[in-house]
This record gives sequence, C-alpha cells and structure tokens, in this order.
Amino acid sequence: MFTDIDGLSRRAFLERLSAAGGTALLMTGMSALGFGIASAAVAPPVMSGGKGKKVIVLGTGVAGLTSAYELTNAGYDVTVLEARDRVGGRSWTAKKGTKLTELGGEAEVCDFEEGQYINPGPWRIPYFHRGYLHYAKKFGVPLELLNNDNDRSYINYEKGTGPLAGKPIRKVEVAADMRGYAAEMLAKQVKQGALDAQFTAGDKELFLDYLKSEGYLEGADLKYLGAEGRSPLVNPGAGLDPGPGVESKPYAMTDILHSNTWKVLRSISNLDQQRTMFQPVGGMHELPKGFVRNMKPIIKLQHVVEKISQTPGSITVAYTDEKGAKGSITADFCVCTIPLSVLRTIEIDASPKFKEAIGGVSYALVGKIGIQMKSRFWEDNHQIYGGHIYVDDPLISTISLPSTGWLGQKGVVLGFYPHGAAAARLSGMSLADRKAYALAAGKKVFPEYADSAEGSFSMFWHRTPFNMGGWAEWTEESRAKYYPTLLEPEGRLYLAGEHLSYLTGWQEGGIESAWQQIAKLHTRAMAA
Amino acid sequence: MSFKLFVSAAALVGAAAVAGAVIAAPVDGAATFAENCAACHQPQGQGVTGAFPKLAASVVVQGDPANLGWILTHGRGGMPNFSEDMSDDQIAAVLTYIRSSWGNAAGPVDAALVKAQRGAPKPVDTGAGLPFH
Repeated sequence: MFTDIDGLSRRAFLERLSAAGGTALLMTGMSALGFGIASAAVAPPVMSGGKGKKVIVLGTGVAGLTSAYELTNAGYDVTVLEARDRVGGRSWTAKKGTKLTELGGEAEVCDFEEGQYINPGPWRIPYFHRGYLHYAKKFGVPLELLNNDNDRSYINYEKGTGPLAGKPIRKVEVAADMRGYAAEMLAKQVKQGALDAQFTAGDKELFLDYLKSEGYLEGADLKYLGAEGRSPLVNPGAGLDPGPGVESKPYAMTDILHSNTWKVLRSISNLDQQRTMFQPVGGMHELPKGFVRNMKPIIKLQHVVEKISQTPGSITVAYTDEKGAKGSITADFCVCTIPLSVLRTIEIDASPKFKEAIGGVSYALVGKIGIQMKSRFWEDNHQIYGGHIYVDDPLISTISLPSTGWLGQKGVVLGFYPHGAAAARLSGMSLADRKAYALAAGKKVFPEYADSAEGSFSMFWHRTPFNMGGWAEWTEESRAKYYPTLLEPEGRLYLAGEHLSYLTGWQEGGIESAWQQIAKLHTRAMAA
Repeated sequence: MSFKLFVSAAALVGAAAVAGAVIAAPVDGAATFAENCAACHQPQGQGVTGAFPKLAASVVVQGDPANLGWILTHGRGGMPNFSEDMSDDQIAAVLTYIRSSWGNAAGPVDAALVKAQRGAPKPVDTGAGLPFH
C-alpha cells in the first residue's frame, strides 16, 4: 500500500503519518518505506519523576507486572494486589502439583513428573512481539524455538471422502502433491499461450521457471512426478542398501481434493503463526518470575478485589485477604488489569457508560489438556520433532507435540485446544471423560498414543475463577461502541490488558496496553 | 491459522448433523443440555453470577422462543453460535427442556421455529433483560 504515493513525497507522507498516529505509526510507516527502523518505537515509555505518588496495580499477569515494574522504576510508590496465590495470571505453567478447581468442577492436581509441563494459556511468542522479547532479554529469561508447523507431521481429516480421508498422511505429501499439480496445470496453460495477455516481455519464461521450481516440475512437458523431499519410502543411506533410497509416489489429485487435507495449505502463515516461534525454556511462568526477581516485594497475593471507589482526589480498592479479613488501600491512581469478564462482577465507582462498556465484550471459551507420554513415540517411531497434528474434529482442534526435551524419555503432548461451542461441550465433561476423548482422537493418528499416556492436566479458561474466559473477543460492533471508552481513564482508574489491544489473547497485547496506559497516567501525574 | 481450520471443520460437522437429523430418533433435551450447555450455565441452570446467565426461573428463557432460537443459532455476548454444532431438532429440544425446568414453565419450541431463525435478522428486543457474558 505504500508503493504508490501519487505525488506525495515520502517526507510529506511521513509527516502526515506522524501527525495522525504519533511516533508508533511514524515508525511503522518508515519501516514500510524501507527505512528499516521499525523497532525504535517498541520499548517501554521513558518515564521518571513519579515522586512517590501512590499507584495500585490490580493483577499480576504480564500487563500488571509490566505496569508495576515500569511505574516503580519511574519513582511511583506501587502496591500490587493479586487474587491468586501465585503471580502470572494466564502466563502460567501447569506442572507437578499444580492445582485447579474449575467453577462447579472437580479438584484437579497435575500429576506430571518433575520437569514435565504444559502451558494452559499462552504458549508461543511471534517474532514481532517486541515487548515480550524486550522483557525476556532484560530479565535473562531463556527462550527456545517452538516448531509451529512441521511438514513431517500428520493430517488426519475424517470428514472428507475417498481413500485419504480418515487416514493420517504427512503434510509434506499433501503440500508437494497439491502444489506440484497446481503448478503443472498452470504451466500447461502458460505454455499453450492461454495466459499471454498477463505477461510483459520476458516474464513468461521467468514465470515458467518459477513454476518449475515451486512445483518440482520435470522434463520438457513440465510434469509433476513427485519430489525428493516428499517423505521417501526408504531414506538414502550407505552402500547399496539402502543406497540411494526409494522415493515415494504422489497421491492422485482427486484423492487429495476430496480428503479436504489441502485445507491446511497456505502460501505463508498468518503474521502471528510463523513456522518457528519462541517459548520460554521451562514454561510460560518464567517471564512473570523474571519480573518478580527484578521488582521490589510489593505484591500482595490472595487479595481479592471487592470494590473500587473514587473521590475527586483519590482511589480506594477494598479487598478480602487470604485470611478472609477485609481491608482497603488508597492511592492516587489505579491500573486495573483484571479481565473484563471478572471486572464486570466487581462493584466500581464508574459512569454507566463505562460500566456498560466493561460488560460489552465477550470472552473466549477455550481450554487445553496436557498429557504426559511415557515415551516420545512421535519422535522415536514417526520422526516428527515438534509441530502440530492437523485434525478436523472441532472438539480436539489441535494436537501439538512438545518443542522441548527433544529425544528425551518422556514428554507432554497438547491433546486438545478447542474453542467456542466445541469448548463448551468438552468443558462440560468430567476430567476423566475429557482425557478419554483426547486419547481416542490421538490414537487415530498414533497407535501408541493411548497406551503411552500417563498423567494429564485439563482446564478451561471460561470455567476458571479469576478469568472466566480465555481472552476478549471484540466484534466490529463492540470495538466501535465500547473499546474507545475503556481506553480512557475513568476518574483515577486506568484499565490495561490484552483486552485493550488488537493483539487479544496474546501476552504482547497486555504488555503494549500497559505501556500505553501508564504513559497516559504518567503524563497526567506530571501535569498535576 | 488453527481457528480458521476449525471453522471449516465445524461447517462439515454442521452439515452432517443437519443431514442426520432427518432420520434421527427424538432428541433428549436434558442430555443435549448437559452435553453442550451445562459447563457454563451449570447443571441446574443456576449460571455463574456476572459471567454466565442464570437460566432457572428466567424471564428471558420463558419469553419469546424466536429470540432464544436466534441466540442459539447466532451466539450472543460470550455465548458461542451453535448453528453448526446442533441440528434444529437438538436446539428445539434443548430450548423445550430449559423452558420447562428449574422453575420455568413455558411452552415447547419446535424445529421449524429454530430453522426460521437461522437466517433471520437480529431481533430488536434481544438485549432486554439478558446480561452480556
């Protein structure tokens, strides 16, 4: 969109961007125009001179921790209240001994072995989530790559038809064949001159070269006959046996089409679903721990907010502590990162418009199960190292193999990750039934799956106290009607969190929202 | 990406469910409720204050069945759209069940009414008395 700025000089264009959207938009624009300085705007607000003004931060997910850390460093006197007996909110890791009782549910204790874990909430970090990466680097939280798309992985689509339906087949086979056939068909048309009108001088031959390369087309007639990287029947090796190995043969195009497996193919991934992503070594709770290591001890755990009241000059948060005792704390400002799904149940001094906006966004029904496997059969027997198994049962949605502990003895597999109506249904099952459902689905892909299963931990965010949902799900309508209201302070109350971003459900949304809101708070405090 | 795949998969489930409904035995509304709804609205329809609306002794549940049919087939607030996961018969059975349980005493809902709501515009009165969730 920036390639054709008809008559508008780059400088004038950038000036307009800056005027319209401030520095962040300016930087984005400069990056798009090839100046290559995109990262400059992605850092915490530079603040100082808080002079001991009091701020209460509610919640210790990444939005709350970011707010508390930056405000403390800027000279504010910060107190943090956290409802749970741990920090981190949804940035959480379930491991041996982790406890949860869902609303109206059974008491659950994670029975993984030491060192095994599942991230029930966020689990993967895209490269452009610069705020997250900023703090990971700052606090020395080690990251490792997460394989977010593995060509060796299986697709098991049961709802198609034909010989490939309901049978696990390698993604690489579908990708090679479908792209190969598509390239072959297109090449034939090009060679016959059917698309000559599309080409300017010299383009046609280059385009054919591209199709040959893209689809592994062979010979003068540009046929797709398979590809060396397409999951050989026998891998090449030493001597004469296996010697050069044996290549596999393509599936028939009609079989792939009717199997629906082509649905997993896209030219590139979505921006937030790159093929390789990051994860913190040891689990998602490592970043919250990093914040805490670098902060003064100002976090009060097991303090459940009951009421937020305001006067023109102060804001007071009433709470119940771990002993059931009531208390309150008064400050100059409050940064509240409590999810709106929970905030709407708390009494607050706010205008009817603000309260209506808090109630105006819905929250995702979503959950996961982690299943500890006694052997890494997906690696040992199937040579699949990380990535996702693609299935078309919405109750399962995704099976994912761990990108940690490679070639070790055991590992935890993500057994389901459903959303919406499917999550409503699965979350209504007992813990045992959820696990049985997951094992039955996994067994269709891996014969070893059910027999290898040991401990498990399943949870649904919409049934989890202090969350009541996975993340904010704005609609176009609710964005227009309510979102702007919640971005502005209500008296001395500032909201922050993933729900106040366009990165909903991502930790980055929480971090960048916190940066924006505390910058507003600081500007006001300095002007006072 | 996974959610986009999920949507296309769900569409297929829906097609199968609707097609299957033609020859299916009468649907058990209580079982359908337990399977699809109870995780949030709770087994006795008591809901969770502020999060999931109470269905027991509810003015909305006993109100216009077309409104309820629309909500089930389009979603509302935090409630997902069940149009691809449940057949008209299943939705009618579950609505009939909740309208006659836990202190509710309203008439049954038939599948034709649900079917009519699938493509219907949003009713004007949907917001009345029903909290967002």
